[in-house]
Amino acid sequence: MRTLVIFVVAMAGALFAGAAVAQDKAPAGSPERGHKLFVELNCYSCHGTHGQGGGRGSEPKISRPVMPWSAFIGLLRRPPRDMPAYTQKWVGDQDVADIYAYLASLKPAPAARDIPLLGQF
Amino acid sequence: MSEGDRDGGIDRRSFLKGAAAAGAAAGMTIAAAAEPKPKAAPDPGDANWAGAKFIPRPGSDFMLDVIKSLDIDFVAANPASSFRSLHESIVNYGGNRKPEFLTCMHEESSVAMAHGYAKAAGKPMAVLAHGSVGLQHAAMAVYNAWADRVPVLMFAGNGMDAAKRRPGVEWAHSTQDPAALVRDFVKWDDQPASLQHFAESTVRAYKMMMSPPREPVLIAVDIDLQEEPIHEDKLSIPKLSLSAPPQADERALREAAKMLVAASNPVIIADRCARSQEGVDALVRLAETLLCPVVCTGNRMNFPSTHYLNLSENRLSLVREADLILMLEVQDPWGMLHGLGDPWKDVRRVAKPEVKVIQITLADFMMKSNYQDFQRFQPADLAISGDAQTSLAPLTEAVKRELSGTRAAALAGKADALRKRHAGMKERLRADAALGWEASPVTTARLSAELWNTIKGEKWCLAVSDRIAWPKRLWPTSRFHHMLGGSGAAGVGYSAPGAVGAALANRDRGILTVTLQPDGDLCYAPGVLWTAAHHRIPLLIVMYNNRGYVQEVMHLQRMAGLHQRDPKTAKIGTMIYDPEVDFAKIAQGFGVWAEGPISDPNALGPALARALKVVKGGAPALVDVVCQLR
Repeated sequence: MRTLVIFVVAMAGALFAGAAVAQDKAPAGSPERGHKLFVELNCYSCHGTHGQGGGRGSEPKISRPVMPWSAFIGLLRRPPRDMPAYTQKWVGDQDVADIYAYLASLKPAPAARDIPLLGQF
Repeated sequence: MSEGDRDGGIDRRSFLKGAAAAGAAAGMTIAAAAEPKPKAAPDPGDANWAGAKFIPRPGSDFMLDVIKSLDIDFVAANPASSFRSLHESIVNYGGNRKPEFLTCMHEESSVAMAHGYAKAAGKPMAVLAHGSVGLQHAAMAVYNAWADRVPVLMFAGNGMDAAKRRPGVEWAHSTQDPAALVRDFVKWDDQPASLQHFAESTVRAYKMMMSPPREPVLIAVDIDLQEEPIHEDKLSIPKLSLSAPPQADERALREAAKMLVAASNPVIIADRCARSQEGVDALVRLAETLLCPVVCTGNRMNFPSTHYLNLSENRLSLVREADLILMLEVQDPWGMLHGLGDPWKDVRRVAKPEVKVIQITLADFMMKSNYQDFQRFQPADLAISGDAQTSLAPLTEAVKRELSGTRAAALAGKADALRKRHAGMKERLRADAALGWEASPVTTARLSAELWNTIKGEKWCLAVSDRIAWPKRLWPTSRFHHMLGGSGAAGVGYSAPGAVGAALANRDRGILTVTLQPDGDLCYAPGVLWTAAHHRIPLLIVMYNNRGYVQEVMHLQRMAGLHQRDPKTAKIGTMIYDPEVDFAKIAQGFGVWAEGPISDPNALGPALARALKVVKGGAPALVDVVCQLR
């Protein structure tokens, strides 16, 4: 039951945030520090160094487009599914802002249609 | 050999001890040349040597005759004294051909090689192991084969007669009941007391092993039975006649056909359904007759990925929409309909509450209870005991009989939508594969695409196809041999020897074998690289080197999050660096051509091309690729 409540709250937060993208401005952050934190906190172990997601289908991509700030920090604090929660005690809001800045700074990947190797599949 | 024989002369063991003593004496003579020359040792080859006895026809020769009668091509083993006579019979009496002795460096490797070989060859390999320490080493690999429903013909050397055991190690290596170590996960075992008993039990074991559900079997081979002369005058080898696989009941299949034809959104989930191309073709015919999407779990290549009805990557949405699900030899039916949250263990129902489930499986014949690989119980609306592959053709015929002209026309109308859905799935997968394309370390999608580009002109087999999901998502599979699934029980250490075994099976069939090799797995028993080099087994090993037991990182993070403690410590005990393992050097040390480590994705293609050249020349090659963690 508790998980259901967390899920509903988190998803409601995410949806609300999604509806309020225009007002959803992230705090300023350092992409360099964010990259360091992304590795230290092992975010990359599931989401990949470029936020591309994992190869097993259970690790979502989190970059390009990066989700709205309020959804991002909301999901990080109270993830709806199997991801561990990252609390203020260990990851402050500025840390989250730096990680967000890192993900936002990533160069977009080429489109699949522009990659000849992928055209084979 | 009778006790009287032992008393009356020098038996074989005493003779060997005597020969060793003579050798030692000779050594002393060399060391002390000034001393008087001792009396020359008798020539052991001289039949007139007083008291000398020979065993020109040991029991192990007959054992080999039995093994040969079963058309066994290879026997994998780490050498051990408890089967020394059988070993000698293989290499001398049998000329080391059919079966050929494969030198292994770990019993776990022996069994895993046999496991991978059986899936690629469609026939079993034999394995020899000490009845005690050898089986202890082998046990996890046996369990993997059990969970993967794969036959392995195992023999365990053992000294049954305590009065004849040599003091010391031979006692430590003998057991009352060798099979007790693995009895929970072998289909059948025996410890024959005579050679005739051996012949009958070995043929019986083979027959039982090959009847679906296929599983490993074990025959303990007594040392004295191997080493003593053949006494029985009328030994015979029973004729092998394999049982026809159990086809499902016709009436039950008719009922299944009615339900399938009446369903609006049926889905077929195929797990360990096919065991040959015949099974793949039969499933295609059923799916096309029903215009029914298919989900292939990946434990076998059941259905071509190129076929528009293959919607495996849409499993969750298909299950959510389905009003009927046909499960073909699905090991975890409950898991197909539900998820379970971690760590809160909250059940997440995916399927509709009213969904109907038909199961065709031989799971009810897996009558062991200790190991829990049978998964959570899932009731079915129609449960049918039968071999799925064998039952597909009669089920398809039953479906055709049930299809009225109107219903067939309605089904045909679904084709365009299903083709569109398949195309959309592929487009989404390509888009996902592009993410991080230029990243270093290399993404698993890029690695898979580069490897496919290297081998696409060959007749190919991906020996272990469950470690990275991208080949299953992207590569065009159409033949059963294209992808062989994984270990079965997720016991780490299968991938490398399993791939070597598959490559051996494919060697003479003109099939190029490749594998994506996890680093943690290779660290378990890397000696199998030497076995591949020694026996000239061509295999392209591409390291999926993420420098860690990465799944465990997530578990540690989850626990830290749950306990509100430091998440940064999850690397402790889970990652493999400081120092980083140099797999190219390791492979080279075992005599395998190797390159790496490679972190630059643009350097990957040329390295794989160089490795392919080596493999096509008949040898193994390894390319170490430093990858993204997932």
